[in-house]
Amino acid sequence: MKRLVAILELLWAALNLVIAYLFVTNAFVAKTAIKEGLPAQAALLLGGALIAVFAVTLARQSLQVLRGLRPTES
Amino acid sequence: MRWLLVLAGLAIAAAGAYVSLAQAGSGTQPWDPELSDNFVFMRVLPFALGLGLVVGLFRAGGWKPAVRRGDQVRRFSPGTVIGHWIATIGFVLALPTGVWQYLGGILDVHLEFPLYLIYRIHYIGAALILFSVANFVAYWWVNGDRSLWVPRGQWRRHLAGFALELPRSLGTRLAARLGLDLTQRPRPGQFTFYETAFSFPTWTFALALITITGILKAMRYIYPIPGPVLYWASTLHVAAMVLLVLKVLDHLRYTLGRWPLMVAMARGWVSEGALRGVLEPRVPSGTPHGEPAVAPRAPAGAASGSDR
Repeated sequence: MKRLVAILELLWAALNLVIAYLFVTNAFVAKTAIKEGLPAQAALLLGGALIAVFAVTLARQSLQVLRGLRPTES
Repeated sequence: MRWLLVLAGLAIAAAGAYVSLAQAGSGTQPWDPELSDNFVFMRVLPFALGLGLVVGLFRAGGWKPAVRRGDQVRRFSPGTVIGHWIATIGFVLALPTGVWQYLGGILDVHLEFPLYLIYRIHYIGAALILFSVANFVAYWWVNGDRSLWVPRGQWRRHLAGFALELPRSLGTRLAARLGLDLTQRPRPGQFTFYETAFSFPTWTFALALITITGILKAMRYIYPIPGPVLYWASTLHVAAMVLLVLKVLDHLRYTLGRWPLMVAMARGWVSEGALRGVLEPRVPSGTPHGEPAVAPRAPAGAASGSDR
């Protein structure tokens, strides 16, 4: 069960990494600057970077479980 | 009597939903599907909140102290477990659709299927979250359980415990910034300091923000909301969405690494020994020591929470 949850969480982390990529790349697109302005660009960059960090942390945790590095407590 | 309250709440909610959906599906409304869904959501919203309130009151009336079955202790009541999973479904529906609405606007990208379907799923998820918020607020308000709250005057102690639970470099930096004393390891209660000092307050803030701004946004077609208020509501709704995306990722990371917490939220029951291992983790050498988290002969429930 723990491995199944780890796989699902890994997929969730991957989905979030895609979102982070879209956030960060669109922070530098001219269309965003024209349409939304500098604060929105900064928010996209910060939000995307944070999502990426948290998603990578979750992915690492899930991979550790899948590789059996984490002790099974139940 | 409690069952009558729930039955009345269910009947009122069902009648409200039926009238709203029947009106939208009558074919006589002039609005497009997206606007029509918005009206249905606004009409159903008070009933979702009301039903959550009634269910929370019902559960609080049946609140019992924690129980034990051999080595197993009941950490969460069945109502809490079900309520948590209803909220989870709400997040799974509302978060990706909310992100898509936002990114779709930024990227100017459209999917093969109509946008109103995305909004519809978002509204269903939002209604489930609002139901859950009302359910848990009413439940905790009435049963008086404050085990996830930091008591008045205890913030420094909880923050110190939280700093000690963090990786050392991060915890030391936090302690230096806040002037916390890390020489004594404080005893956690029924929840870890991470949960009381960081996780629960940030969940509360993010959920309150997304609820208030979401209701303001949804209200705009039935009540004139001033432009600047709507602008800030939309901006803060997106900010709350990003915060919730981060919270979900962090929550999954934290509970996957502490598997007994996941087991407890799936079954309600958990092995007391495993739970003790989470509340009272092995302290690496060189870090401050304090009293054990749970006294060796503590009664059932001391490590199990209060059967929330």
